[in-house]
Amino acid sequence: MTGIQLVLLTGVAFISLYFIIRLKKKLLDLVLLAALILAAVIFIIWPDLTTALAKKLGVGRGADLVFYLSILIFWFVVLKLYARIRQLEKSFSQIIREDAITKASAPGVNQPTDHE
Amino acid sequence: MQDLLHTPPKHKIVVIIPAYNEGAVLISVIKETLPTGFVIIVVDDGSDIPLNKMLQPYPLFYIRHRANLGQGAALQTGFNFAKKLNPDIIITMDADGQHHSSSINSMIEPLLTNEADIVLGSRFLSPGQTSVPIMKKVVLHTARLINYIFSGLLLSDAHNGLRAFNATALQKITITENRMAHASEILFEIKKHKLRFKEVPVTISYTAYSKKKGQSTWDSVRILFDLILHKLFK
Repeated sequence: MTGIQLVLLTGVAFISLYFIIRLKKKLLDLVLLAALILAAVIFIIWPDLTTALAKKLGVGRGADLVFYLSILIFWFVVLKLYARIRQLEKSFSQIIREDAITKASAPGVNQPTDHE
Repeated sequence: MQDLLHTPPKHKIVVIIPAYNEGAVLISVIKETLPTGFVIIVVDDGSDIPLNKMLQPYPLFYIRHRANLGQGAALQTGFNFAKKLNPDIIITMDADGQHHSSSINSMIEPLLTNEADIVLGSRFLSPGQTSVPIMKKVVLHTARLINYIFSGLLLSDAHNGLRAFNATALQKITITENRMAHASEILFEIKKHKLRFKEVPVTISYTAYSKKKGQSTWDSVRILFDLILHKLFK
């Protein structure tokens, strides 16, 4: 085992641990993640496998194949994060809106309230 | 033009003005609108310095977001609050002095005659419109086409903040786009709920202030991005 393999495997181990703890309740995400981790571990230990696979898929080098796949995964993650942010923004807006409406001041009673 | 003061009082008309970090210009907009006798709701969208002290002398409803959410969110807050007042007509207006309450009469006309559920102001239909800045023109015409692609409605203007709604439109339209993409979302809502709409010429004043406060060309890229996300994560 080379140095880089050790570094990468340690990284994967930490990231997986973190995600498994966070994602306990989401089965689909967990399955997806498990597949990714497995692929990462296999390719780190037997890097030649990526080259063999790349050749079958018409890509020259294994490293290139990994790179292309990473871009795909990256976009998937970005989209998922955006969906999550929009969801958060929605609940956040609802809370702010309800708070604002309950504290609305009517004409003539525009006293400074505890808005700050 | 019919005097605003002589609008039949049997109709309850509410004007919603979303405002963010406004000052003297907002006050002048309010002073201009008060004589119409309409109910004014100012939605302070989390301005750095709350606007309530500044607005204290004026008879209006004041609502403040604790954090800045965007104009779309401020409008929806205004709508939610307006529903409690059971208005016949709701008007939305920018706080930066671009719109004039003198335009309101022609805006509410199609609602009073029950020709439309929602009336949208259009600067490109107005013969009295002084020159629209060239970059603004390019952006607005591109935005019209993008709105057409997304909503199927081809209007003569895009992102004009002066609008009028009747009670039906108020009940049906919900804005979820917090930022400027709400202008397109309103078109989606018109289409979805099969609301009748009409465009009416309005004049927009391009002052140095409103240009500074308004949308930059880059903001439109952000709006497009928001629109795509809106469609993706329906």
